[in-house]
This record gives sequence, structure tokens and C-alpha cells, in this order.
Amino acid sequence: MSDLRVSIGGFFVLVGAIVGAAGLTADYRAPLEGANVNLYCGVSMLIFGLVMLWLAWRKSRS
Amino acid sequence: MRLALVDYLILALYFLFVLSIGWVVKRKVATSEDFLTSGRSVPVWITSLAFIAANLGAQEVIGMCASGAKYGIMTAHFYWIGAVPAMLFVGVFMMPFYYGSRARSVPEYLKLRFDEKTRALNAVTFAVMTVFSSGISMYALGLLFELVLHWSFTASVLLSAAIVLVYTFLGGLTSAIYNEVLQFFLIVLGFAPLAVFAVMKTGGWSGMGARLPQVMTHTWMYAGKAAENPMGVEVFGLVAGLGFVLSFGYWCTDFLVVQRAMAAESMSAARRTPLIAAFPKMLMPFVVIVPGIAALALSHMALGYSIPLKADGGPDYDQTLTTLMAQFYPSGMLGLGLTALMASFMSGMAGNVTAFNTVWTYDLYQGHIRKNAPDSHYLWVGRVTTIAGVALSVATAYLATHFNNIMDFLQLVFGFVNAPLFATFLLGMFWKRATGHGAFAGLLMGTAAAAATHGLTVAENKGGWLGATLHTFPSTMAQNFWIAIFAWSTCFLVTAVVSLASVPKAESELENLVYGLTRIPHEDVPWYKRPAPLALIVVAALILLNVMFW
Repeated sequence: MSDLRVSIGGFFVLVGAIVGAAGLTADYRAPLEGANVNLYCGVSMLIFGLVMLWLAWRKSRS
Repeated sequence: MRLALVDYLILALYFLFVLSIGWVVKRKVATSEDFLTSGRSVPVWITSLAFIAANLGAQEVIGMCASGAKYGIMTAHFYWIGAVPAMLFVGVFMMPFYYGSRARSVPEYLKLRFDEKTRALNAVTFAVMTVFSSGISMYALGLLFELVLHWSFTASVLLSAAIVLVYTFLGGLTSAIYNEVLQFFLIVLGFAPLAVFAVMKTGGWSGMGARLPQVMTHTWMYAGKAAENPMGVEVFGLVAGLGFVLSFGYWCTDFLVVQRAMAAESMSAARRTPLIAAFPKMLMPFVVIVPGIAALALSHMALGYSIPLKADGGPDYDQTLTTLMAQFYPSGMLGLGLTALMASFMSGMAGNVTAFNTVWTYDLYQGHIRKNAPDSHYLWVGRVTTIAGVALSVATAYLATHFNNIMDFLQLVFGFVNAPLFATFLLGMFWKRATGHGAFAGLLMGTAAAAATHGLTVAENKGGWLGATLHTFPSTMAQNFWIAIFAWSTCFLVTAVVSLASVPKAESELENLVYGLTRIPHEDVPWYKRPAPLALIVVAALILLNVMFW
């Protein structure tokens, strides 16, 4: 159902963007992990969300 | 644990999405079947993800992490023996009867195959179990958020109950299913990074393994004798008890999961649902169990991290996941992790409420209270039952606060009830001669046998309430496996014997309900859309995983 693909894709694009932005702008670090966790994870989720949206778009065209 | 604005923002976004999905789905709900069974129209990718997500509640996520810290990678047996084979079986061999019978629920299948009293027994026990499970989900949610975030128990319980109520009231089963898929992705994307970062910190898989006793990173090597592994199990008990009885008893008969497959858009989709679901299921140990093992390794490194202790001095493994998150996730991902936990609790509730709904409305209400009303009446009943179901769950959550051991007690009772079920279905689906009297007697005696085994044996100071102690098990897990074995065997024997002594239904009444009287349509589809090839691929992958982590 392209409805659900759109909802899920949209959700993760938004969340990925928010977390990624937190990674870029705010200086949150975890006690045991020095790497920029927010940036890595935010970008991954954003990509996942875009892939879902692309799948939904492809489905709606066929 | 302190939350920043970004964390609350993510949680709020999740609530918003979940409610809007409910609102969008509402427009497609016109009949009681739309509301309670999704009108058999859901595509296979959704049903398969919902199939595992329905079972992947937060207690499992937290519990598996805890078990990882306590027992190591042997916990993966719960997935690799304790779930996947049963999922393959239900997809390949049992779905044709569930879907082909056009039953709207598992108890309804029992009515068509056997008789009304067997259906009623199953429906009543299932309905009670779902309400309690739902209540326990909320109780665990309230406790967790109180402990970790200092939110009021009442506030978290009522807030999440209200949101679940709204989206299930609006969209019924379809809403619950869609939100379960969202929950699945949240769990994977929310916890896989934790596994990655935690294991990397310990020096990779081999580095982690070097810091722990060998048994923690091997699944079979130490399973031969009970004394050699922390679970206290040996191979036969493990394979027969867990692998066969308990797992098949759950995955093949529990309406909560089977309902998701029955909502699929075709017979082929219904059969493939558990098979496709087996792929992510096989990989879940790496998301939920491995962080626990890493946490144990980390507590042995001088990093200032250790698994929190309970009041009596023993480790509080249930806090492993949340404390690990606090160490590896900054604000941002922390919010996502907590949202994933919240999502799993809420899906656990929603899944149970929607299953309860269907069983109450069709099996109990339509079956016994008001049989021939127009469909709009049942749609209305379904909606009202949603409210009642959520209310009962909230009440159960509060009840649990007064009785500390209620969770353990309920797990025990569920075990007694579930263990014999698979024998009943196996005989019902594959042996034409099985009768209603046989099934009913078998279920009762099987449950009694489970209770008796528990009453006559002792493990970790539990059980043995029937006076004599005939055997002592090294762990409660081993005891549970053997209770299951005895219950199943008793049910099987009693069902067979009583069936042979009673009159079966005429073959014309058993069409599409039993092996030999059911036509499975052959569809002209490519090989990857057929159940048998898919099942074989899953088996190959499963063997590979077991060999890799021997």
C-alpha cells in the first residue's frame, strides 16, 4: 500500500533530518562513544526514508 | 537519564504519525470484517513485518537484551529453534487450512473443524490471555518510564492507552497492523546502531568473545550438558521442549500472530507471510541479544560501566538495555531509542486489543450472545469492545502494581494453556478422524498435565506445590521445557484415544479444514513467490547461522 510506504518514508525522512541536524548543530555526545552518533544515524535514517518514498513513488506509477 | 527537546520532539512526531495513520485508515472501514479482519486485503510485505512485530513487544526487546547479558548468544535459540521452524511450518502446512476455511479467527476454525465447545474453550482462554498481556505491556511501560525518566506511572499508562485507543477505535486491525510495521522499523533503526557501537567498543565480535567465558559466544558447543551452560538446559529438552512444543504451540496457534497472516490478500500471500517474516526474525538476535552480551563484556572493562544491581545484590539484567543506551546514545538517538521502546509497548497493547476484539465480537458475542444481527451491529460491537478492551488492560496494569508476582504467575498460566494447543491443531489439521470430544478432552487434560508437572517438580525454588517433589530441574527454563513436553504428549494421546471412541463429522463437512480434503490451488507464479522454495532458502540460511555461531 503506497499509503503506508509514504507514511513510513515520510516519518524517517523527518526523524533522520531532525537527528542529523542535532548531530550537525548541537554538541551532544554520549559518555562512552565519542563519534558523532547522531550524524551517522540521522543520515542513515534519512536515506532509508528516501528509499521508502522512492518505492512508493515507483508503485504509484505502475 | 535526561531528555533534551530533540528527544521529546521525536516522541511527539511518533504519536502524531500513529494517530494520523489511524485517521487515514478509518475512511476505508465500512464493514465489521474491514474493522476486525482487515477484509483480507493486506499486501504480503506488510503482513510479514506485522507478523513478527506483533510478537516483538518491548518486553521481548528488553528481555532478550537481559538474556543476552545473562546467557549469552545461546539466547538466539529462542529465535533460531524457538521461532523460525514453527514459522515455516505454519506457512507451508497450516495456512491452507486457516485461510482456506475462511474462518475469521483461530477459534472459529476450531468450531468449523470440531465443535462449539472446543471453540468456546479456546476463545475464552485466549480472550483472557490477551487482556492480561495487554495490561502487562502497559504495566511494564509505566514501570520503565518511571524508573528511567521519572515520569508518573499513571501519566505514561493513561497517555499511551489513550493513543492506542484512538487509533484502534478509528481503524481497527488495519491501523494496528500499519503501526506494527512502523514499530518494526523503529526497533531495527533504533537499536541496531547500539549493537554496532557497543560491540565495536569491546573490540569487535572476537574482542568481545575474548573478554567473556566461551559459552557466551557459542550456541551449541555447550548445550550438551546442563551443567555446562548458564541456561541449565540439555539438547533434548531444548529441542523438544522449546523447539517443538512451545514454539509450535505459539506460532502455529496463537491468534495474535496468525491473525496478521489471515489478513493477507490471497492464499499465496497468507502462506508466504510467515516465510518472508522468517528472514528478519533470524537476524533479530543481532539487534536485540548482542547488545546484552556486549554490555556484559563492557562491564568487565574498566570503563566505568556495569550492569545495575537489584536490592538483593544480584544484577538487574532488565536494566541492561536502558543503561547501555544512556552510555552510547546522545540526546537525539536517545529519544529515538526511547520512542522505539514506547512504540513496542504500544504495539503490544494494540495487537492484543485488536485480537481480543475479533475473538470477543465473532467467537463469543456472535457465537453465543446475539447470532443474527446485521453487520453494522457487529461493527458497532467491535468499536465498543475496543474501548472495553483498553479499559480492562488499564485495570490489569493497576492490578499488577498490587501483586508483584503477577507477571510470573501469568507467564506460568499462559504456558500451561499454550503447551497442549499444538497437539490439538496438529491432529485437527492432519487427521480426519479427530473429533470435537477428543479435542476438548485433550485440551483439558493437557492443561492439567502441565499444571501437574509444575506441581510435582521443583526448579530454583519454584513449583512443587502438589506436595511430593518427583524431580528437581537445574533451572526454571528446563522445567518449562519439560512441562511443555508432558502437556503436549498428554493432549496428543487423550485427543487420539477419545476421538477413536467418538463419532467424527461427515467428510462433506470437513472440506478445506483438514489434510486430504483441501485443494491447494496451484498458482502460476515465479519460484520466489511460491512457499516451498522460500522455505528451503530459510532453512539453508538458518543452518548457516547455527554453524557460524556454533
